[in-house]
Amino acid sequence: MKKNTMLHDLVKGRYFFSVMSLFVLIGISCLMSPSFLSLSNFITILRQASILLILSMGLTAVVLTGNIDLSVGSSAALCGCVCAQMLVAGFPVILCMGASLLIGLTVGFINGLLVGILKLPSFIATYGMNMVASGLAMIVMNGGVIYGLPTNFTTLGVGYLGPLPVPVILAAILVVCMMILLQKTVFGRNVYMIGYNANAADYSGVNSLRTLLGAYLLCGMTGAIGGIVMTARLNAADFGMTEAYGLQIVAAVVVGGTSLLGGEGGVLGTVIGAIILTIIVNIMNIMGVNSNWQGMVHGIVILFVVWLDVFARRVGAGRALRKQRESVKRA
Amino acid sequence: MTTNKRPLLRAENISKSFPGVKALSHVDLDLYPGEVHILAGENGAGKSTLIKCILGAYQPDEGKLFLEDSEIRLRTPKEGIEHGIAAVYQELTMIPWLDGAQNIFFGREPKIAGTTIINRKKMSCQAKSLLDELGCQEIDLTLPVKKLGIAEQQMIEIAKAISMNPKVIIFDEPTASLSDREVDRLFAQIEILKKKGLAIVYISHRMKELHAVGDRITVLRDGKKIGTYPERELSDDELVSLMIGGNIEEVYKKTSVPGRETALEIRELSDRKGKVHECSLQVRKGEIVGLAGLVGAGRTELSRLIFGIDKSSCGQVLLHGEDVTGKSPEYLVDHGLGLLPEDRKGLGLALRAPISWNVVASGLRQVFPHFFMNEKKNDSVAAEYIRMLEVATPDVQRNVGQLSGGNQQKVVVAKWLCANTDVILFDEPTRGIDVGAKAEIYVLMNKMASEGKAILMISSELSEIMGMSDKIYVMREGRIVGSLERENFSEEEIGRMMLLSGEGEGA
Repeated sequence: MKKNTMLHDLVKGRYFFSVMSLFVLIGISCLMSPSFLSLSNFITILRQASILLILSMGLTAVVLTGNIDLSVGSSAALCGCVCAQMLVAGFPVILCMGASLLIGLTVGFINGLLVGILKLPSFIATYGMNMVASGLAMIVMNGGVIYGLPTNFTTLGVGYLGPLPVPVILAAILVVCMMILLQKTVFGRNVYMIGYNANAADYSGVNSLRTLLGAYLLCGMTGAIGGIVMTARLNAADFGMTEAYGLQIVAAVVVGGTSLLGGEGGVLGTVIGAIILTIIVNIMNIMGVNSNWQGMVHGIVILFVVWLDVFARRVGAGRALRKQRESVKRA
Repeated sequence: MTTNKRPLLRAENISKSFPGVKALSHVDLDLYPGEVHILAGENGAGKSTLIKCILGAYQPDEGKLFLEDSEIRLRTPKEGIEHGIAAVYQELTMIPWLDGAQNIFFGREPKIAGTTIINRKKMSCQAKSLLDELGCQEIDLTLPVKKLGIAEQQMIEIAKAISMNPKVIIFDEPTASLSDREVDRLFAQIEILKKKGLAIVYISHRMKELHAVGDRITVLRDGKKIGTYPERELSDDELVSLMIGGNIEEVYKKTSVPGRETALEIRELSDRKGKVHECSLQVRKGEIVGLAGLVGAGRTELSRLIFGIDKSSCGQVLLHGEDVTGKSPEYLVDHGLGLLPEDRKGLGLALRAPISWNVVASGLRQVFPHFFMNEKKNDSVAAEYIRMLEVATPDVQRNVGQLSGGNQQKVVVAKWLCANTDVILFDEPTRGIDVGAKAEIYVLMNKMASEGKAILMISSELSEIMGMSDKIYVMREGRIVGSLERENFSEEEIGRMMLLSGEGEGA
């Protein structure tokens, strides 16, 4: 009965195939390049993964409700741009970051209303918001690029605390907070319940609108934090700064084993997903793979990991069904 | 008469089981050409299962089908159609934005010779002559069917069935959405089909229609055939008592005595969709109140209205004397109201989620009032209810979907007990669960009532509702048309209120 559920999830539970993919990937990478398995490369990977991880953190909650948010990337860019513009205009760092956070939360709030009250399909609603946010970012930047930000701000992106880069520590803090929020609170449980069966949640007196809004607010917030950290890391901002991430933010969640149908998965999976996606790029860089090829290889690996997950579930579901039938027969 | 002819279609000794339920056992049915054969029975008596076996949608576990004396085996409805067995359903199965001709010949469109191009001219020509045959020349075949009236759509549906040149047509509650005038037209068409020598199976709950159109009546109850009777030998009352069965079984042992205080009261409640009209009723503490009626009478809609899923247009809901009209389900749950929905799998439970999560789904805010929760306490709370209700499961971690129907229903009950609910709406609480589990649910409901909880039970099974209730309200066509106290319960009276339409009601 009593078992460490986190460990159980990792080795036997829902994250099994994500973890296995990760180990296989690490194994292959070690074979291909001895320099892969070094402490400095390890920290590089974590640092590269941290922004993707922050961006996809809140999205995990949204996907768990059975919805999606395609606006995270452009919303993050908008937040970064506003932050940079305010910094060069001479506002205090705290105020700039606060304003960015507020923008991210607003985007999330609007997404939540579109999906929760107007009942738009989340795919279309957030795709629309994606374009609105990136349009706004363009307006804010007016076609320009900002660089040379104050150092007390850029520390957030390039600084170290002991051996660890600041973005990694930030990401770790967010992961812990999100895990507590999703696994240990009434709100988190309702997020999962909506994903499992939104109708049953309504018929149980769960306030699905409030829960959905909460998930989208979280998504907007972590998007904003991701945008701010990225601006600090780049020491620059332009409206297309998050383009490289694009749908990778969604891929990190799905590769991590969270079901797009909702209800299954969690933050831990997203951590693994983000690291998998980062390692693919990292090893290709170490190997000196021509950058023209990198996108395609990246895509193929994502497809493979998701297929493996779906395949395994289907086999598992079939087995469970057979077992059930047999037990019915016996009874 | 029919006796000197040979049956067109004969079903012999048909049995069909679903996990945990024997839906049909050893049922015979024979259909003669030029005859309308009525299938009568309560909801769940096995009528649909039987016609699905005849249509090829289900394969019977036992028994044989004979078409004109040769045995046939149908693996799909398509094979049924190929053998000349067609059906007209209560729910229209058309594609709303295609026109009448396109719907009639959907998937079987006449082609221009030697090509795969649809010959539209030929198609509308053929469609026109089909409708002429049915005496409805005035239907505009060029309009998308969604622009036609329900009755006209129904005619197109019939034309579609006839276009397949069937020998047997099955009408499954075709009049559910038709007005009296439209019903008369339908009967005129059935008369035409009869003259053409087709065998017709007709299912309906409206007593009047059965006499207007039927030649013979076969009554089913609990998956068994009670008998086949010539129409004119059965009176309404006899038919009703054949359908519901004479005696109330022993399973309903009432242990509760209703209190005085009113727990739930609704006053002239109407919905916005026109399915519920000015319904008023009261449920006292410790009382089980039944809400009888046919499927589609608006009972489920009324329960959704009370529980705040749908919004009302006028009227009031009072919970323990407090006006809670228009409050959200969340508010109502926190104030002691619960709803066990008819669709257990779609609305009552999250099947992919663990038992423990489902048990606390409604009571979560009460079990964990401080926002933070922990899995261990969740499991132990759930385990307690699972033990109390004797749900057959080794642990509470497995998914609810793995349990049998009866055990799933117990989990829904556990959900409301866990939320400290004292007024519960039960919508068809024993649908799709086997007899043993039914009895356990009844015991639970009685126990809850004797603890002072108020229960409003919707049920389509007369024996169940009469056995369990202290008082019965009867609903028909969105209105509460009468109520009876326990000492005045009679099958005939309730059946009459449920089935007969207003003008035909005598003393």
